[in-house]
This record gives sequence, C-alpha cells and structure tokens, in this order.
Amino acid sequence: MRINSNYLKAGVAALALSFACGAQAKLNIFACEPEYAALSKELAPDTKVYAATTAMQDPHQVQARPSLIAKMRQADLAVCAGADLEVGWLPMLQMKSANAQVRSTDKGLFYAAEHIQTLDQLAQVDRSMGDVHALGNPHLHFDPERLLQVAKALSAKMVALDPDNAAGYESALADFSQRWQAAIGRWQSQVAPLQGKKVIAYHTSFRYLFNWLGMEQVGDLEPKPGLPPSTGHLASLQGRAGQGDVMAIIVASYQDERGAKWLGERTGLPVVNLPMSVGGNDDAQDLFGLYDSVIQLLLGVNR
Amino acid sequence: MMNFNARLSAVALACAFLPNLSFAADPTLTNPAISAVLDGYYQNAERPMAERVEGFGLGHTELALSANIDDMFYGKLTSVIEVHDGETEVGLEEAFIQTLGMPYGFSMRGGRFLSDVGYLNNQHVHTDAFSDRPAAYRAFLGSHYFDDGVRLDYVAPTDLYWTMGIEAFKGDSMRAEDEHGEREFKNVGVYTAYTKLGGDIGVSSSWMLGLSYLRNENGRLTAHEEHEEAVVAEEEHDHDHSHGARYTGENTYIADFVYKWAPQGNYKYQHLTLSGEYFRVSDYAPLEEHDHDLVDDHDTSKPDAHTGWYLSSVYQFSPNWSAGVRYGQVDTHLLHDEHFDAQKLKETEVSLAWHHSHFSTVRLQYTNQQGTNFDGITDDNVITLQYVMTLGAHGAHQF
Repeated sequence: MRINSNYLKAGVAALALSFACGAQAKLNIFACEPEYAALSKELAPDTKVYAATTAMQDPHQVQARPSLIAKMRQADLAVCAGADLEVGWLPMLQMKSANAQVRSTDKGLFYAAEHIQTLDQLAQVDRSMGDVHALGNPHLHFDPERLLQVAKALSAKMVALDPDNAAGYESALADFSQRWQAAIGRWQSQVAPLQGKKVIAYHTSFRYLFNWLGMEQVGDLEPKPGLPPSTGHLASLQGRAGQGDVMAIIVASYQDERGAKWLGERTGLPVVNLPMSVGGNDDAQDLFGLYDSVIQLLLGVNR
Repeated sequence: MMNFNARLSAVALACAFLPNLSFAADPTLTNPAISAVLDGYYQNAERPMAERVEGFGLGHTELALSANIDDMFYGKLTSVIEVHDGETEVGLEEAFIQTLGMPYGFSMRGGRFLSDVGYLNNQHVHTDAFSDRPAAYRAFLGSHYFDDGVRLDYVAPTDLYWTMGIEAFKGDSMRAEDEHGEREFKNVGVYTAYTKLGGDIGVSSSWMLGLSYLRNENGRLTAHEEHEEAVVAEEEHDHDHSHGARYTGENTYIADFVYKWAPQGNYKYQHLTLSGEYFRVSDYAPLEEHDHDLVDDHDTSKPDAHTGWYLSSVYQFSPNWSAGVRYGQVDTHLLHDEHFDAQKLKETEVSLAWHHSHFSTVRLQYTNQQGTNFDGITDDNVITLQYVMTLGAHGAHQF
C-alpha cells in the first residue's frame, strides 16, 4: 500500500505540474473576435489561437456556449475588443470557465479599447437611446493607426505573460509594424477618391473606417443602435437618399441585407457587403487582406 | 497525506508565480451592476402548481445587485417582490458569494443560490420562453429550486466542455408533506451531484447534455396518518404559493439536453433552441408497516417513481418575434389512505413573443391541460398575456 500511494503521489504531482506549468510553454490565446485572433497570430505566430466568433456572427449577440467555456478554461490570454462589446457574453464565460488567469486585465485579459482613444464616448447613456455604450464605439479594428497601437500593447502583454519568449514577440511586433506601416502607405495612396463620400450604413460598425477614410455616414439602417431596420425608418432614409449625394448603402458581413436591398431598389443605390472581419469574404484571410478587400469594394462602387 | 498536500501546494505556488504576473492588483472600484425585472400578466385560469394566479398579477418582480467583491470573491443578491392576497412579500432568491481565484478550474459558491441540477433550473425565470416552468419543474422542484447551501464545481481543461459539481442544501422547500408537524427533518436535507458536457457541431450548432442526481433526505413521505389523503388536494385551492416542491422522493434523477442552432452561428436574426428534460423521482412511499398494504391493493402495478418530462422548441424568426411550442407531462402518485392513486397531467403549450428590443418582451401563451385525477383538473385551457422587461445593467445570459 505504501509503495502504491507513493506512486500515486508522484503521478498526481506530475499531473498537477503538467496542468499548471505545461500550458505556459506556449501561450494559449482566446480571441473574442476574428480580427484579434488574426492580430494575435501576427504577434505570436507559434501560439495556439482560438477565435470565439466569426465575421459572420454579430459580436454583440453571442451565446456563452459550452465550447467557448471549455476554450476559455484553458486560455492564458483572452484578447477582446472591450468597450462593452462583449458585455452580453464574456462575463458569463469568465464566471463559468473558472479561470482566474483571464478574469482581470492585470493578468491575462486584454481589452483593445483600453489602449486607444475610442470614438463617440457618451457622458450620459439611457436605454431609450438604444443599445449604446458609454465607453465609445468598440469596432476599432478598422483604424490602421489605432490597430497598430493595440498591436504594441498586445505584444507587451504577451511579453509580460511569457517573458521567456520575449525576443520572439518583440521581433514579431517589429516585423508586423514594418509591414503594416508599409501597407498604410499603400492604402492611403489608393483611398483618395473616397474622401468626402457619403454613405448609409447598418449600425456604426464601420465608424472607424469612415473616420480614417474621411467618409461620412449620413444615415443608419438601424433606427436606434441594436434595433432592426423598420419600414418607417427605411422610408425616411429613402427621403435622405433622394438628396442625391449618397454613394452607397453599406452592410457588414454579419448583418441582414434585406433592409439595405429594399432601400437600394427604391433609391437605385448600390448595396455593398463589406467583410466585418477576417474571414468575412474570400479575400479577407488576414488583416492585410481585410483592409485590401474593404478598400477595393468601396473603390469599386465609386468607379 | 499532509506531506503530499504540502508538496502539491508548493508546486501550485511555484507555478502560479512562474508566468511572472507580479503586477500589483489595480484596486479599481467596480460599480455594482443593478438590474430590475418587471413582469406582469393577465390570465384566464391558473396552471396547477404554478406561481401565477388567475386574473391580473405580477410575476417575478426582481431586483438584483451583483459585483466582484474583490479579486477573490463575486457576490450577487436577488430579491423577489411578490404580491399574495394583497400582501407584498419580499423574498430572497439569491444571496451568494462565489470564488474567483481558485486554481485548476475549481470554484465554490455559498449562500442562497439556484441549484445547478437540470437545464432550466439555474436559469432565471425571466429568460424563459414560456410564462411558467414545465409541469415537471413545478411538481418536483417548486418551479425553480434555490436554497441555502454550498457548491463545489470543477471545469475540466478539455476542448469538449465538461463540468461537474456537488452541492449540499438545507432542503426546507423540498421536504415531504408533514401535516402534523411531528416529523424530525434533517437540517441538511438535499445533496446533489451533476455533470454537463457540451460542444459545437460545425459553426451553426451547439449542444449540451446534463445528468443530475438529487438526494433528498427528507423526501420520503411520512407513514400514513389519518386524513392525510386530503392534504394536497385541499391545499391546492388556496395554496400559499410557496416555492416548495409538491412531489418529493428520496432520489431524483434528471437528464437534460439543449441544442441551439443559428444560421452560421449568428444569433442576431434567427435562432432555434430545442431542449428537453426527464425527471424520475423515486423512493417516496412511506417505509415499514404500510409497505405491505401498498403492494397488494387495487393499484396493481405499484408505481416505483414519479416521472415527468418536457420537450420544448423555440424559434426566433426575426429580432422582433419568436414562437415556441412545448409539450410536458407528469405522472405522479398521491397517497390515499393506504394506497397510491396514479395521476397524470399533460400540457401542450404554444407561445408567441414580441421583442421590441433585447430588453422588452410581450408574450401571448396558450396552454391546453389534460389532467387525469390531477388535483381535480380534467381539461382546461389557459391563456396568458404577459410582459417581461429588464432595466438597468444587462447581465450576460447562460447558454
């Protein structure tokens, strides 16, 4: 019995050691949205990255489903947009996954919105305004400068969590920054024709993109944030489009096109479906492809 | 054993510091999340064992407060305000603390909370797609079983979701009928054990299966006393809306499943939820002297368990509208003198709900009841018009 129990002790201790320390050899990353999964892969190419949602899923409305709890249970780092985008599901995942490592931004939780200045912060929030967030618009991955700031902060977080591999993270960041800045230069040379263009769009999903490109969203298919397009509201947008200065109607890959098509048929405006994130169409296979695709689709309308 | 424990915790400690997380905890004050649920209704009749009465009424009017207490504990307080016979009562449905920092996927909860047995039980009633819980819940768990106790839960570090837990509760609301107040009940009356498995099928579907066992030390009926047969039937007519279980037994087994589907996994516009549970409540018959009589009386197939089940399907076909159908039944046995009478309740229900936003729901529900010896119910039709609205902090929903 004595020998047996010693074996048992050794076995349990080894198991505990492998559970507790084994995962640290390589970061296990849980990304709330595919854009942050893509960014994590750029900054830590050798890690295991899991994307909780796809570009076809509205990140506001995600089920705290069992598979996500299981993935978060094993994560060393959770990378999310923040600014309350995931408020309807992330807290439940944190509670259910019982993983203290990804519960607080002091440890392995990373909110992109905390590292940049968000647009449209509100001093006063009331539900009669729709499903709005005081912390500002969370769809910040469509601003290349802000995304670069986020990349730097995320890389620093990876280094803090896994200092043994600091050199790897730092060189990956340097490589990404260099390629990203070159891409920004290329994009900026392409997007001049979009400057000052006006669009009607669904939600404020592309707030940062339009801000960066100098475009203006003059109408929202949603009567209030989070509420689906209503016929009365669409009719008022039809009136707005009648002024003749609107270039297109924009929807994101996870949004229902019916309202946009209804409006498009009545106004003769093209409806453009832009990938909301990596994987939103065939061209958007990484962050570079995502930007390329969005810009080409917008330029295509303008042509 | 002491030595072994010391060694293991030294390993745990060493590993905890390995990833070099020596940031000072930022003492940011989290504002508590405050939320209220308003629930009002009108219905033309009453469902047996349910909390809602005939006519106008208020359902679960809830006021909840929750926050991380510090980096180790989370706390939640949910009070429920109910009006019964003109009197306003404040009840505590939840008042618990939960650990946030235990290692290896363990967590503990203590205080008053909803038991994690079954699928629906740990969900708040305002998130339900029907105005009352299925008959099986009303019969065996008092609609929803919350109690004072402790829970230990473990989530396995696997890609397939796998959790398991044990709970111990006071069990007052799960006690068997004790008309004469002569019985000495155990102070810790209920123990549970549960496990749940879950995962995804492709990108569009998700599932979860659960198995639960509930041991109720006070669940067996007391040996026959005079006039006992009238107890349940009479109480039914002016029943006190206590949250107590109506039919109890020493051993309850629950199997549950839920399957959800949304096109490409996008829950914004359409999604489908299929769920079902099966209950088996056994060992309810009084022991000893009456055993003999029970076997050889006119109810020849002596029942060995109360059973109940339901199957529910809810489809949200647009962000503004959802519809559901549910069928459920319970087969229970009521002690009459020296034998048990079988009784049955079947409910077929349809509901249609309009959601102006994520926070407001107006629901119309129709229930067709068919009872066989069930508390005097034969057939009945119940129509309920109900609103459920939440204000304040919007808590995340469970799967």
